[in-house]
Amino acid sequence: MKKKLISVLLCATMVFGVVTPVLAEDSGSYGEGQKIALVGKSAGNAFFEIAAASFVETAEAEGATVDIVYPEEATADAQIKVLDNLISQDYDAICLSANDTNALQAKLEEAMDAGIAVSSFDSAPNAASRQVFVNQAGTTAVAQALVDAVYDIAGGEGQWAILSATSQATNQNAWIDAMQEIIENDDTYADLELVEIAYGDDEAQKSTDQTEALLQNYPDLKVICAPTTVGIAAAAKYLQDNGSSCKLTGLGLPSEMEAYTGDDDEHSCPYFYLWDMEGLGELSAYATMALINGDITGALDETFTAGDLGEYTITEADDGGTEIVLGEPLEFTPENVSEYAELY
Amino acid sequence: MAGKSGRTINNVPESPVKKMIFSWEGILVLVLIGINIFCAIFSEFYNLSSLLRQMPTYLAEVFLMLGMAYILVLGEIDISVGSTVCLSATLACLASNAGLPFVLVFVVALLVGTACGIVNAIILTQFPELPPMIVTLSTQIIFRGIAEIVLGSGGSVSVTNTDGFRAIGGKVGQVPYILFLVLILAVIFAVILGKSTFGRRVYAIGTNRLAAYYSGIHVQKIRFLIYSVMGTMSGLCAMFLISSSYGANTTTGQNFEMDAIAMAVFGGISSTGGKGNIAGGIISAFCIVCLRVGLGQRNVHAQVILLIIGLLLIGAVGLPNIVGNIRKSAKKS
Amino acid sequence: MEKKSLWKKITGSREALLFVILILLFIVVTAFNSSFLTPNSLQNLLKNNAVTMVMSLGMLCVMLVGGIDISIMSTLALSGMAIGMLLKYDHVSGTVIPFIIALAIGAACGFVVGLVISRADVPPIIATMGFMYIYRAMGYLISNGGEWASATALGSFSDFATTKILGLNCVIWIIVICYVFFYWFMKWTRTGRKIYAVGSNPEAAEVSGINVKNIKLLVYTIMGILGGLGGALQVGIYASAMPDMQKGGEMDVIAACVIGGVSMSGGRGSVIGALLGSLILATIAKALPLIGIDSLAQNTFKGVLILVVIVVNVILQRAADKNALSRREM
Repeated sequence: MKKKLISVLLCATMVFGVVTPVLAEDSGSYGEGQKIALVGKSAGNAFFEIAAASFVETAEAEGATVDIVYPEEATADAQIKVLDNLISQDYDAICLSANDTNALQAKLEEAMDAGIAVSSFDSAPNAASRQVFVNQAGTTAVAQALVDAVYDIAGGEGQWAILSATSQATNQNAWIDAMQEIIENDDTYADLELVEIAYGDDEAQKSTDQTEALLQNYPDLKVICAPTTVGIAAAAKYLQDNGSSCKLTGLGLPSEMEAYTGDDDEHSCPYFYLWDMEGLGELSAYATMALINGDITGALDETFTAGDLGEYTITEADDGGTEIVLGEPLEFTPENVSEYAELY
Repeated sequence: MAGKSGRTINNVPESPVKKMIFSWEGILVLVLIGINIFCAIFSEFYNLSSLLRQMPTYLAEVFLMLGMAYILVLGEIDISVGSTVCLSATLACLASNAGLPFVLVFVVALLVGTACGIVNAIILTQFPELPPMIVTLSTQIIFRGIAEIVLGSGGSVSVTNTDGFRAIGGKVGQVPYILFLVLILAVIFAVILGKSTFGRRVYAIGTNRLAAYYSGIHVQKIRFLIYSVMGTMSGLCAMFLISSSYGANTTTGQNFEMDAIAMAVFGGISSTGGKGNIAGGIISAFCIVCLRVGLGQRNVHAQVILLIIGLLLIGAVGLPNIVGNIRKSAKKS
Repeated sequence: MEKKSLWKKITGSREALLFVILILLFIVVTAFNSSFLTPNSLQNLLKNNAVTMVMSLGMLCVMLVGGIDISIMSTLALSGMAIGMLLKYDHVSGTVIPFIIALAIGAACGFVVGLVISRADVPPIIATMGFMYIYRAMGYLISNGGEWASATALGSFSDFATTKILGLNCVIWIIVICYVFFYWFMKWTRTGRKIYAVGSNPEAAEVSGINVKNIKLLVYTIMGILGGLGGALQVGIYASAMPDMQKGGEMDVIAACVIGGVSMSGGRGSVIGALLGSLILATIAKALPLIGIDSLAQNTFKGVLILVVIVVNVILQRAADKNALSRREM
């Protein structure tokens, strides 16, 4: 209960954090004349668009120019071609969300050798190929929140399953690994039985097939945890339409999940998580500009001020590199989901 | 080469110079020059050195075009090549990480690619009534599926010893090795297709398979060979892909088949078989590479680039036909 | 003698053979997991594969005239995204009007494809590959560069996918209506027979007074309309519109038709074949996670099964018409 209270308070402050800068937009000059390229995972991803929009807004208010570039497909191959293009141009910094942990190392090193600052957010390339990573929420924090949600919804015991994106999805794999570690090392969760990790490939049809198979293979399944936006929506739709007793949690967009969130039997998802997407864009923008200005180099324990978000410290990441953690994951409950659905 | 060029193959012989200019390859050269002028104006960063620097990742796909050209001339299609690239890249990375010397890693990639090609070849020659598209569709799923199984959860592998891959990704001055290799292979493939008996037989099969069969051509043997070589080229493509990413994952090579087909078709190699040549394919490959680099350097939206390539494809094949139809009807009246 | 003729009867008809394969699949899957053969599970099977099932009817027409269309899922994305955005920004509401809009967009897309193929003589695979890029890009562009339309934004539109009429889901009724219509259309109408005629022998069809170009234009337009219908269904069933939905799904539709015995060189194939083909493919997709295949190995199994089904089909076909083998294409 205390946790919920804290997260509600956090949500409230976040909302103010989001609203106030719109009211009092004083254009700074922190990023005057800087040229930044923002590289997404693939085009057509609403999830990325929200953070990107806030990134652009923040950076441009500080006088920088931002170009958003997408690869043709959500593959590392395609991102390498994009990076090649960017290196040819005189960018001051590249901020990217990586499609593969290791595959971009050669190109990103080439970029850094060419004097381009490399920051990353959402999904990190490996430690050697980035200067700094803006993590939306600590990997362990996300995993802990998800495990706690599963524990809470399942009532402390029973079968549960994970519905992920693809077997290659970097973020999802990190969270799943962390979740498994938490469960193994903490006796609190001894009565929870993780029966399967299914992959829905971020396609509605395959996710639905996988969800249905989970229910038919494990009739006693209590909770499905889907840490992926497409997967959670498809699973929520299926569970809700079929009036299943199995409940759902995971990571999703409030706008996509609004119709499925509720405490009663009518709805399939009691609550779920994500993070402050706009804050992620804003913090990434400030981190990237700080990197160009030389205020930070990506070394441990450096601090910088991210506009209205306040002061941030660079901490150690799980992969041996450094990261800046935005904050705790946000919890979306039936009470606040429609409010957030307006935003993203 | 122009004498055997695709789009003029049925034309009445004209003066060689005129033929050279009005052949599809001649037009393509003009298009290539046009694209380069356009890109140079469009992007302030577009110059020879940036082009040469960005080229290698695209050139890896040209290997696939070379193999695909033969298959298209046969009147067939292979949509499993992207997955073959994925599987050979995966196994090559694993072989490298297992401590094999680089030469052997190279051999592994080529062998795995060839093996995939042979699997296609066996099925297609044993069951010649099966459409190649559907067979290669299932092997497309299977080859990538095997890579998924091999890679396990995580779905990604990176090589620990990158020396060899760095070496093949090297350059003479500004010119990457891969460019030389592409050009050498293109010449070899072009000569075999254009000048040898084997090549003529491929055209014969593509033009009329039954007639070719009755005239004593070993249709199935030739198909077997071509599909196997397509696999080998995929292995080669995989090696050069690793040289830029030092690793492989389950999405490696995704949709490369479409890129390869697009290059070949834009180069005048008809998907209905019997028409086109490697020269056209290579020039069109460079057209597409230059265009992509030029547009990419101004951060044109990736989807818009694909839209332009789609229009180019349809235009390249459709316009000559429309012009031909109009001429025909003009002559009639 | 008696036994042989029964064998001949089964192998002689492709549909009967496919039906046997489908039954075998059902038995195997049920043996692994008895919950497969429950009414609810079967309804969900149909509902979750409605898009493929409906669109394989269009692909049947296209393949009957010897063509192919790989742009269909881009048409689906474009029409689905269009109605998604219209609903999201409250330009339209309800169910019927968005459906009509989706069908109209699909028809327009298909018509353009048909024009390029029939009038400019562009080989179908090339033309539709071009349009695959073009329509997909247009889908992205109308989504304001990557917005999604969620369940809430769609409002009451997606209700049809959860409404039941006479105990059957509306989506299933749509499938049934489509199949009944096409069964009638292909078998009993003049146009339907013309499509077969063009596919079996274009020259003969031309000589006998059929306008081959118009028939080609027609089949691609039909495919487009069904692509539009697929778009509306996709958005309705999953209550979500995204610009990259069903990317790569065209291959499933083609595979369904080929499994169903539709010849890629034209002239051969039936509505029943398309139905059985798409049902077999749907069963495979649903069965793989159900019978406990490791999630990482499912794709490989799917590929192998498709390959096995078509190879078995060929072997049995060979047994059926040994005599005609020498005259077959190689």
